[in-house]
Amino acid sequence: MAFNLTRRKFLQTASLAAASVPLAKVVSASTGISRSALEAKGTFGDKTVTGGICEMCFWRCQLVGKVRDGRLMKLEGNPKSIDNGTAICARGNAGVQLLYDVDRLKYPMKNVGKRGEPKWKRISWKEALDECGSKLKKTVDQYGAQGICVFPHGSSAKYPMHYFERAVGTHNVSEASFFQCRGIRDTAYVATIGKAPGEKIDMPNTKVLFFIGDHLGENIHVSHIKQYIQGLQNGAKLIVADPRFSASAAKADIWVQIKPGTDTAYMLAIMNYLVKNNKYDKAFVEDHTEGFDEFFAAIKEWTLEKAAKECDIPAEQIKEVAEMLAANAPHVGIHPGRHVSWHGNDFQRQRALACLTGILGAYYVKGGWVPAKGPKVGGVSWAKEDHGQEFDLNQDHQKDEKIYPFKPPGTPTELIRDCAISGKPYPIKSCVVWGQNPLQTIPGQQKMKDLFNAMDFVMCVDVMPTDVTAWADILLPEPSYLERFDFIKTGTQWDLSKEHQQYISARMPLVPPMFERKDQIYITNEIAKRMGHEAKIPVQTIEELVDKSLATANLSIEKLKAEDGIHIQPGKDPYGVPEDFTVMLFNEEIEDTGHPGAPTYIAVPDTPEGYARLLYGRAPVHTFNRSQNNVWLHNAMPDNPVWVNDKVAAKIGLVDGDTVGFVNSEGVESRTTTTVKVTAGIRKDCVYMYHGYGSANPLMTIGVGAGVDDQSLITKLAIDPETGCSGMRNNFVKLIKDGKVLDLSA
Amino acid sequence: MQYGMIIDLERCVGCHACTIACRAEWEVPVPYQRNWVKRLGPTMTDDGMASTYYPGLCNHCDKPPCVAECPADPVEMTFTAKNSKTKTMNVAATWKDPFDGSVQIDKDRCLGCGACADACPYGARYVNPALADDDSAGKADKCTYCKPRVEAGLDPACVQTCITGARIFGDLSDPNSAVSQYVKKGAKGLEVKGGHIGPNSRYYGNKKDMGLLFADYTPELADMASVKRRAMMASMVKPAMKKAKDIGILGLAGAMLVKGFSENEDNK
Repeated sequence: MAFNLTRRKFLQTASLAAASVPLAKVVSASTGISRSALEAKGTFGDKTVTGGICEMCFWRCQLVGKVRDGRLMKLEGNPKSIDNGTAICARGNAGVQLLYDVDRLKYPMKNVGKRGEPKWKRISWKEALDECGSKLKKTVDQYGAQGICVFPHGSSAKYPMHYFERAVGTHNVSEASFFQCRGIRDTAYVATIGKAPGEKIDMPNTKVLFFIGDHLGENIHVSHIKQYIQGLQNGAKLIVADPRFSASAAKADIWVQIKPGTDTAYMLAIMNYLVKNNKYDKAFVEDHTEGFDEFFAAIKEWTLEKAAKECDIPAEQIKEVAEMLAANAPHVGIHPGRHVSWHGNDFQRQRALACLTGILGAYYVKGGWVPAKGPKVGGVSWAKEDHGQEFDLNQDHQKDEKIYPFKPPGTPTELIRDCAISGKPYPIKSCVVWGQNPLQTIPGQQKMKDLFNAMDFVMCVDVMPTDVTAWADILLPEPSYLERFDFIKTGTQWDLSKEHQQYISARMPLVPPMFERKDQIYITNEIAKRMGHEAKIPVQTIEELVDKSLATANLSIEKLKAEDGIHIQPGKDPYGVPEDFTVMLFNEEIEDTGHPGAPTYIAVPDTPEGYARLLYGRAPVHTFNRSQNNVWLHNAMPDNPVWVNDKVAAKIGLVDGDTVGFVNSEGVESRTTTTVKVTAGIRKDCVYMYHGYGSANPLMTIGVGAGVDDQSLITKLAIDPETGCSGMRNNFVKLIKDGKVLDLSA
Repeated sequence: MQYGMIIDLERCVGCHACTIACRAEWEVPVPYQRNWVKRLGPTMTDDGMASTYYPGLCNHCDKPPCVAECPADPVEMTFTAKNSKTKTMNVAATWKDPFDGSVQIDKDRCLGCGACADACPYGARYVNPALADDDSAGKADKCTYCKPRVEAGLDPACVQTCITGARIFGDLSDPNSAVSQYVKKGAKGLEVKGGHIGPNSRYYGNKKDMGLLFADYTPELADMASVKRRAMMASMVKPAMKKAKDIGILGLAGAMLVKGFSENEDNK
């Protein structure tokens, strides 16, 4: 068992039980039986504190805390919530173990060793901030604002990100949530329907759900899962295209065991079939789409047979899916997905999803894509300033055009890394990492390390000593989401068919911060003062920021507190297609940039002989790589077994539970090993593992070396040509067992 | 009355919220557990490719094999029902409640021998070393169906946090309860092979998923000879244990335990 809980950690957990031993027995009123003093009391009698907003992931459920003698014992869903209700997921429940994780960053630290091999020295906040301020200012003075690059993630990184983008003036900001996750989805839908789609499928009220790679159940966001299961309970059919028999495939009516990378061909064939057989929504296409003829001309080569061959699935099944969608349209939910940076052909796939929704007329109707009408709350941050295009790496100055015309906000990661490493077209010499762990988030770990080595100065702000923190010169500790104010979360009731309601909540601390942790407003403002931007500081404290934002909705922290952390008000009916709503089936603007204006399939590299394509996905108990040191979550799934097709395994003598390492097609070996899961539920040409394991930082005493870091094996970079986002599923691996490299040929 | 829990596999997504909420509510130390979620499959079955979950917990059985094996000296206990009826029974350190049907433990009288844990065919009991004292390596612990929460009018912690409403708690002897409705629809307990102990945590799902669950996790009764050996060994050291409690050393030991841990905390 890969159980490496240290004794100290164990005692810390155990001490909770021992410390809570009451002196007298509790006699139950209803049974007359006295309970042993040794019995845990249960947290239900503890003091309830309200106003929590989870950030174990970005879904941000509303919480209450149970506090005993000043210690947070348990987190629960806020009973007042119309979103998650009293439910929270495993990660949400395990938040207390992040809060009290002994490995957490506690004090400002200076690296007096080497980058990547740090020796940490505790320093004062003054020294730390002086160092950050002077080094960053030196970079700006010497190389300009563009000499700073920023890798932010999460709600605490928003304010500092705005500072560096707006007040300092660098374009070189790369958010993993865009460039390694959902950015492609958002810009592809913007180029099709004018809006980012979110995951706004009216699942409780749909008749058919259509997932391309979505693996809800392994991917857990509370109200989203509530919607999904409610839909299935209400009788919705589920179609899941996935090379693997995922948690969603296990609940599906039709599992499409598609060849990785071919999803666009699959959808083009469905659309072609619908159009050719007059099974599309003609009225909707007439009223709300543009470019139908060009669109049809571009996709008509995609017969069922052609797609069947390309996607390695039966033509009959494609027809069955198309017929099922047509028979239930427009009440069908074509899910836009979330993490979609897969193969470097992803913008076109996301366009195909948006167009398929369009020809089925499944926008703004029951069961389709329906954006709920939430409340408006203004934000407060650093004032926007125009810093021109001169140092925008995405600008091709010679051709006077954008390199990646449909990039999400920020600058594509590879443009920043290439510039920082080569020094061309200009030097980038300081790096600010805030809440992101680029080593386990961005493919090409060596390239990331090369970037850090090219810097004059690297600073990291985080809660945990993640892998990237080992590369910092200065490392600053933040309070966790349970100990600080910040994020304002708004939304509606989770089932759109129910009474229309809206909610506004703001994150409030459930317990005070411990040690010397400081919030993002303090840290950013202190750096801003040292860089000469004191006059531009928009707020002095995080409470001021939250209060000013809430004031735009006639609310305040005090008012929210009086309402148990959540303000609820009447909502609006979200159904009904806006008159000017248009789906660009063919988009000339895309064509003008030299990319296909109609959704187009671009084949991805085939799996080389002897290798299997490395696929990865979400573990239900982890978020990205952020929760791997959480002792409760680690214990629930201590490693990330690699799924191997049973026939392939039999051929090469692998059995369930074998310990294996990996080597990829570029010769990079995994640092650690994991176990084998032999299953019929995966294609022969792929292997699969959960993302977010195998930390390399020994300061993460639970997560270090537990399982395999999938990102370490993703070294071959695929860049989506329209967006500049990373494609991470074009890497191929062999397994290593007992020192012997095993061919995975099917 | 017989409390029972339904796990609706059609709703369950295998997210583990139930297990972690239980850990927080009852301070269950890693790596022990009062409930668990195991993923089954994907594997090819007679009904096609299948994958589901085994969310397990104490079954509060009709005839709990754990209760019979407890070697602690029986004492007379009077149980009171909701309607004020009482019943007096001689019970060891673990018993089946005559009124609500739940199986409970008295940690004061538990010897920590683990015989009950060995006897449970589901592996639903463990010995919690955080509660170790001079005479024992810990105390037996398991799911209580959140009895203290239920008596306070709350749902069990696992039920409260369940995202999809896949866990339903209630009275199986009331034909109108939600749990009884599930039993009518076909919810079944994981009865032991060749025996009848009457598990009251029951599973509901489609044929394929239920087939996979029952094929993989239908348990066998434990080897009672080894259970009884362990129970006998434990009963031999009982006098020392009893003496310790009579003179209040246990309380002192508890206090020392707390001090020891807090010192450890200071050193971290």
